[in-house]
This record gives sequence, structure tokens and C-alpha cells, in this order.
Amino acid sequence: MRPASTKRTGRSLAALAALGMVVAACGSSSKTDATATTAAPAAAAVTTAAPAATDAATTAAAPAATDAATTAAAPAATKELNVAIVGNPQMEDIAKLTPELFTAKTGIKVNYSILGEGDLRQVTTRDVASGGKQFDVMMIGMFEAPQFGASGLLTDLTPLATADKTYNVDDIISSVRGGLSADGKLYAAPFYAESSFLMYRKDVLEKAGLTMPAAPTWDEVAKIAKAVNTPDMAGICLRGKPGWGDLGAAFTTVLNTFGGTWWKANDDGSIGAAQVDQPEFKEALSFYVDLVKTAGEKDAANSSYNECTKAMQDGKAAMWYDATVAASNLEGDNSPIKGKLGYALAPTKVTKASGWLWSWALAIPKSTKDVDAAWQYLSFATGPQYLKDAGTRIAGGWAGIPPGTRKSTYEIPEYQKAAAAFAQPTLDAMAAAPIDNPGTTKRPGLPGVQYVGVPEFQDVGTQCTELFSAVIAGQKDIDAALKDCQGIASQASAG
Amino acid sequence: MADVKTEQSFFHQPWRRRLPLLPALVFTVLITQIPFLMSIFYSLTNWKIIPPSPRKLVWFKNYARLVTSDDKFFREAAGVTVRMTVFAVLISLVLGTLFAILLDRKFFGQGFVRTLLITPFLIMPVVAGLIWKLQMFNSLYGVLNWVLNKFGIDSIEFVSKHPTSSIVTVLVWQWTPFMMLIMLAGLQGQPSDVLEAAKVDGASSFGVFRQLTLPHLRPYFELGTLLGTIYIVQAFDHVAVMTGGGPGSTNIPYFVFKRSIGGGWLFGRASAYSIVVVVAALIIANLSLRLLSGLLEGEDIV
Repeated sequence: MRPASTKRTGRSLAALAALGMVVAACGSSSKTDATATTAAPAAAAVTTAAPAATDAATTAAAPAATDAATTAAAPAATKELNVAIVGNPQMEDIAKLTPELFTAKTGIKVNYSILGEGDLRQVTTRDVASGGKQFDVMMIGMFEAPQFGASGLLTDLTPLATADKTYNVDDIISSVRGGLSADGKLYAAPFYAESSFLMYRKDVLEKAGLTMPAAPTWDEVAKIAKAVNTPDMAGICLRGKPGWGDLGAAFTTVLNTFGGTWWKANDDGSIGAAQVDQPEFKEALSFYVDLVKTAGEKDAANSSYNECTKAMQDGKAAMWYDATVAASNLEGDNSPIKGKLGYALAPTKVTKASGWLWSWALAIPKSTKDVDAAWQYLSFATGPQYLKDAGTRIAGGWAGIPPGTRKSTYEIPEYQKAAAAFAQPTLDAMAAAPIDNPGTTKRPGLPGVQYVGVPEFQDVGTQCTELFSAVIAGQKDIDAALKDCQGIASQASAG
Repeated sequence: MADVKTEQSFFHQPWRRRLPLLPALVFTVLITQIPFLMSIFYSLTNWKIIPPSPRKLVWFKNYARLVTSDDKFFREAAGVTVRMTVFAVLISLVLGTLFAILLDRKFFGQGFVRTLLITPFLIMPVVAGLIWKLQMFNSLYGVLNWVLNKFGIDSIEFVSKHPTSSIVTVLVWQWTPFMMLIMLAGLQGQPSDVLEAAKVDGASSFGVFRQLTLPHLRPYFELGTLLGTIYIVQAFDHVAVMTGGGPGSTNIPYFVFKRSIGGGWLFGRASAYSIVVVVAALIIANLSLRLLSGLLEGEDIV
């Protein structure tokens, strides 16, 4: 009995060890592939042929653990950057082009995590605020950049950008640069920038015998929307999905121009009393809800930027109030409604201008080790050369390149031609965006149009837009929603 | 002599046998209990990470908020959780029993049908939520609205107008197979001699079902309810992908997520919510387990 059982044990042990080696070998070869694409295949083979399973495991772990252990290949070839970006078309384009335009030249491999807006915010905020080291470069918005920067969580890009001759930092449109800075220090490099404006189908309005003024009021827009609204084509597409950056952004610009605001500002700029219970707030919300209910898109409570893009491209909406960057998608070579659109400034009520200002921008957290490699990537992704390279390579053609960041973009002849319909309206909208004085009253926190530049706005905006979205869906009464929202906003001012 | 020896080994043996389990036990304690103790500590602070601010002890302020009017939304979320769980468990239990009765007989292709019926349980919750949201409930191209339109009824925006029912529908779709499996086990464990005797005595088949099968199934109902409740109370994926929160769909797990890493960044307050949920869950689970263990003892006697 005994010898037989030891034999069996021995055999099974051998089998286990073999299995372990196979697993380790697989692990090691894939790791090597991932870290050093250019490493000679022979090197990988040597690693996997290590005699014992444990040895193989350690050699496999070594290159992953320490970036420096890259003796086999040229040092530059194994540099890697982990980058988190938001999943909009322009970002997906650059993710596709990076291997050809960046990795091939610099040898730096870029691992993208493409996330939805909400997920991206959770991941980046958690990572940056808790000093996590998940990402070397992350995409943040104009809301976060000055707040994170002022809190000392981001690398100051000013010296890097001025030292980089090819980057030409002074080419960046000044309002965008200002919005991404705190105390004169640039904390994020703009990838694209936008304001908001009204897009409308010229052919549809013409058929109805209506004309859109260049700077319309909300009352005029509502009238036109209701006139062209049919069961098959909504009069206007407006954001209704909960989220401070979704419904919250579009609605806050309406709120501003109706003379309402979220909070009063104390003298030191901190959050004062909540203003949600004021008549202006109710007037703005009633107007928005009524417009979207009578002339808005189907299932508005579930619609935001992407849903409205689709509705416009499918001919299911006649007008759309949203980001200027949307025009790049509607006028792209692959869009069915290319050339049918007209553009007007963001509609107003009591203020002179109401368009928002936003930019998705790349920032380097303080925890990033290889700042030079990270800057090389930023310089590529947000520099003037990428814009020229992308124009001939992306599906949308020249009209689809990331707009709004650089003056030189608007001087590229091909872009001028392709974006003739919306380039000037975009620049006008960005110039008109009332970044420093968006409403009729002084606001707390840092500058911002479609949001209040205080950290608390994220949570308050999201909770309140959940309620407002329920009002749009017909699930909740407007007065009850305003009362609850006032409670939520008051808690933020109480601290 | 012999007595002493057995006593000794009685005393020593279990420990020696359990010794190999100790590392796993210590590990489990380390990774579950220490974070729990830390959560208790966090729940007594006003910790928030955006903007990074010093952590201060506020003692029971976070808990006091729960009973004052401030935390109406926590109580609303608790209400949604209870409604969602009760409806999802009851409906899937009833449907599961019906399917189990249908399956509890020999017919051609029985194994195939059973496999098909189990499939929804094997699908990941996120995928199930997305399939239902985009393919079934969608107001523009959803299957349900297409059917309604065929009958001349206008499209209904299911998810935004009826969030609770929509999520319950998907939960029922996913959990009915689970209940069906439990009930099927119960049905197949029914002693056939008793059923035959009842038939010989001239009982109608409905009478047999009501007076023999249902009492026999009672422990299985209890087991199904308990397990179903434990899992459905923590439903998060469905809420996150289908509605992304809002009145009528934010349940407690989603609410706690939103207040902490989901954008609220109020870790102190969110910890307090979690502790309250844990305490409530402990009480409910204790009561139910007592019921269940009574039921298991009963099995032993029979």
C-alpha cells in the first residue's frame, strides 16, 4: 500500500509542478508581451524556460514590478503610461491613433482606460484624492482642474509647457487656459473645449416658414420648438438624464439666464444660503420641464448628449441645445445630416449671454513618477501637430478634429473649409460665454457657468437633477422636487 | 483507564483536526473584521475626501441625522429596498413554484426545457439590466413597446416612468429560475407512496396539492425566501445600469455608493449608513436563520 501511495503522491506532485510551470510560463510570456512589445522573442523564450516554476514566476513578476528592470530592450521601448479618458468620439479617435502617431516615435506605450463620464469622475477623483497610483495621466474637466490644482493634487504644467518649444502654450485660447488654471498656474492641458449653442435644422425651419435669430431668447426658441414639433420629429432635444454634468449643465445655463442661482455667496466666496426655493428657480425649472415635455424628445428623462446626437443624426429632432463640440459630429463626413444645420448663440432671458464653458483636459497627478514621459504624451495629445495629423486619419475627417483649444486650429485651411458652418459660431460662443459673471448674482467658489465651482456642487447637482429628471418623467411633482432640492442644497451650505 | 483515554482524545482531537483551518480563519477575520471596525470608527467622523479636509470625530452626529428630518433620502432608499425585495422575492417564488410544478413530470425534452428555464439565472446582473433596458423597455426600439404599438397603444417609457416595477421585473426574471430549482428539489423529494395512498383514497389532484404537496414544500418556501432576500436586498447592478438612481430606484446599496465614492465623497456619513444596514441585516438574518435551523432540525427527525 505504502509505496504505491507515495508513488501516486509523487506523480501528482510532478503533475502539479508541471501545471504550475505552464501557468507561470503563460503568465510570464504575456507579461513580457505587455511590457516590452519590441523585446526580442528569444528573450521571452529564455524567461519561460526557467527550470523551476517558482523561478519562472519571479522572473515574470520582475519586469512588471520595477520599470527599471528592462535590460533586454532599449530603455525607451518599455515605458508605459496608464491613461484614463472619457469615452467621447474625439477621445476614441486619439486612442486609435496613438500607436501610430505616438508609440512608434517615442517608444512609450499608452494603456487607455476609456470610461463613461460618471465612472471617469469616480475613478479619477478617488485616485487623485487618495494618492492612488492607478493612472499617470487622467482626463478631468474644467470643474475639477482648478479645484484639484489649488488643493495641490496635480502637477503644475506651466514650466513644462513653456519649456516645450513645439507645444506653443500661448496658442491655447485664453478663456480655456484661464478656466484650467488656478492662481495663474496651468493644471491641465485642454484636449477639446466647448461652449454651448443652439443647433437647428435649416431645412425644417424653412419648410415651416420660420427663421431663427442669431441670438435668440428662450421664449423665441420655445415658440419655434412647439411649432415644428411633430410625432416623428421632436421640436427640440434637451438633456434630461440625471447628473450634474448632464441635465445639471444644460439646466444651470437656463437657470442663470432666468436670474436664478443655486446658492448665495458669502463675502469670502464660501457657500451661503440655498436659493432653490426662490421664484426664479421655479420659473426656470418649470420652463425647462414644460418645453421638454411638450416639444422635447421621447424618453427625455433618459437622454443626454449621446442620445441627442443620435436623435439629430436620425432626423428625430429639429433643434438641439448642447455643446458646440456636437457640431463636429453632426457635420462630420460620416453624418447623414451634414450641411443641413444652422447655429445660433445660446438662448437667453434676462442676461446677455448664457452659453457654458467646458473643456476636457489632461492632467498629471502628483503621484505620477515619470513626469517627463507623461508630459511627452500630453504634448502629443494636446499639441498643434496632432490636430493636423488627425484631420486626414479619423473617420469624421477634418470637421471631426478636437475643436476649441487652439487659435491655430482655426487657421488650418482644410479645417476652415470642412468646419465652415460651425467654426465661427463655436469661437463666437466661446468668446461670449459669461465665465466670470454667469447669472445676476454673485456666486460662491471658483468661476463656472453651468456649474458652481465648489466641490459640494457635484453631489447636490446630481441629487437634485435626479429629482428634476423624475419631474420630467412625470413621476414627481415640481414643488415637491424643489422643496427636497432646497433641503439638499441647504445641507451643503450648513457644511 | 479506557475512559480517561477517550476523554483525552476527545479533548485533544478536535483541535488538532481543526488546526489546518486556523490560517484561513485568521485571514478571514483580518479581511472582514478589521475593515468593519474601521468603518465603525469612520462612521463617528466627518471624513470627506473632496476637498481633502482633516478628519474630525463627531461621535454620533451621523447617526442622529438618520432619525431627524435631514436624512429623508436614506429612509426613502430603505423604503425602496423593502418594496423591491418583497415584490421580487414573492413574485419569483410564485412563478418559480409554477414552473417547478410544470417541470415535475416526465416529458420529451425535459432536460432541455429545464436548461432553458435556468439560463436567466446564469446571466450577469449588469448584462441582464442592459438587455432589458435597451432591448425590452426602450421607448424607441424596445420589444415591449413594439408589441404595444402593434395593439395600437402608445409607447410607455417604462424605465423612467416606472423605475421600481422595471427593476423588479428584471430581478424576477433572474431569480425565478433559482426559486424553480429549489421548489423542484422539494417536489422531487416528495415520497411517492403517500401520493399513491392519497390517490387510492380518492383525493382529487388539487386536494393532493393543497393538503400534501404545499405543507411538504413549506421548508423549501422558507429557504427560497431567505436566500432570495439575502441576495436581492443587495441588488446594485440593476439599479446602476438601468436608472442610475433617482426616486423609486435608489435602494440602500446604491444610495451608500452615491454618498461615498459615487460623487458624494462623504465617507463618514456613508459609513454610518452601512453600519445601520449591517445591524438591521444581522437582526433580520438572525431571526430567519433561527427559523431555518428549526426547519433543518425538523428534517433530521423525519
